[in-house]
Amino acid sequence: MDLETVMERAGPREFGPGDELPEKYRKAATRMIQFHANSEVMGGYLDKTFTRKAPSLDRKLANTAKVQDEIGHAQLLYRAAETLDVKTRAEMLDELATGEGKFLNCFHYPVDSWYEAPMIDFFVDGGAMRRQATLKSTSWTPYAHAMDKVCFEEGFHVKHGESILRELMNGSKATQERMQETFDVWWPRILQFFGPTNDESVHDDFAQAVGLKTATNDELRTSFLNMYIPKAEKYGLEIPEYPRIYERDDGTMAVREDDLDWKEFWTISRNEYEGSTEQIGSRRRRQDAVEWVRESLETWESSAGPTPQTAD
Amino acid sequence: MIWEVFRQEEPGDSHEHVGNVHAPDREMATLFARIQHARRMQTNSLWVTPRDEIGEVTAEEAAFGGRTDKSYRWAMTYNDIDASFAEEVADSESEQREAARKRREALREEENEA
Repeated sequence: MDLETVMERAGPREFGPGDELPEKYRKAATRMIQFHANSEVMGGYLDKTFTRKAPSLDRKLANTAKVQDEIGHAQLLYRAAETLDVKTRAEMLDELATGEGKFLNCFHYPVDSWYEAPMIDFFVDGGAMRRQATLKSTSWTPYAHAMDKVCFEEGFHVKHGESILRELMNGSKATQERMQETFDVWWPRILQFFGPTNDESVHDDFAQAVGLKTATNDELRTSFLNMYIPKAEKYGLEIPEYPRIYERDDGTMAVREDDLDWKEFWTISRNEYEGSTEQIGSRRRRQDAVEWVRESLETWESSAGPTPQTAD
Repeated sequence: MIWEVFRQEEPGDSHEHVGNVHAPDREMATLFARIQHARRMQTNSLWVTPRDEIGEVTAEEAAFGGRTDKSYRWAMTYNDIDASFAEEVADSESEQREAARKRREALREEENEA
């Protein structure tokens, strides 16, 4: 299939492993899904910190279940990416370890307090779920199938995250103040979650033309603001004055891009931020520590695994 | 040789198991599968695979999802939180509610039989 045909046919769940697709499509899809899978891994690693910080057994259990889910999502996504025949799972995991693999900006900031749990589990996950719901209609079918299962599970994460926020904002005045301070730090990062405005985004045009992406960064950011600002305010959080948020003529919300630190954002996107090194390094050390497990699995697979002879 | 047959209705759907055919090789298996499982039913694609190649684990051997209380990992547990503000969160919750209901029913049946 040539690129022109791909663009003509582009639609929800239009292409699958049975189609011969141009390299440009397969590479763009791999880039996108690999980024998504990496983010699930790095989000999971970040989230596991909260199990230790969680104030009750219920919260610890829920958090453990969430981390389990996120790592499971990564597995689904690496499989969906592998079906494009551009990179193997091992290659993608290695790239994540060497610092070549890219992932979401919010997961480059190490966390160390329970107050940060709702930042990740409610706001970041809520934003991610907005985007993931639109990806159920992506043109790469294995990706869409992965989104079906991911979205099925995410509802628990977002509700649990909101429940933590609610609990903390019903706490003492000191607790509420700490929550507000944490929110002030995280809010600009969360606003950058959806990336720069459309005209500055490098990959959007092609991804949309071939149906990989079905909503623009701008649309996602706008709907996120319309849903999540009222939530923050409902629990008594004040939206910081900067970055300024304004209402457009059509009633939707937008951010003044100049108020955000794009230098930091682009440093992060190159994995060159201080936190990037810390997060990537801590995951790499854990990957190295279980190298013997992968090795023994591989030895087993190549020596004692089932032979495909009966199938042929 | 027995071949299990999986049918995909529309492009983009998952392949679902619809039955099996008896055939000497893969080519004949696809032919029989077409005749038996795709003659009337709307079909976009068929998969056939030798039954021997399928690994199975049943509810008798495994306690799927465990038997201890794991309510903390369901969206419905956090019932002081209203999911309706975001369509995707509400959808996820109703999918989970349906899955939990089916699971409860199965467990109840299991208890009744015991």
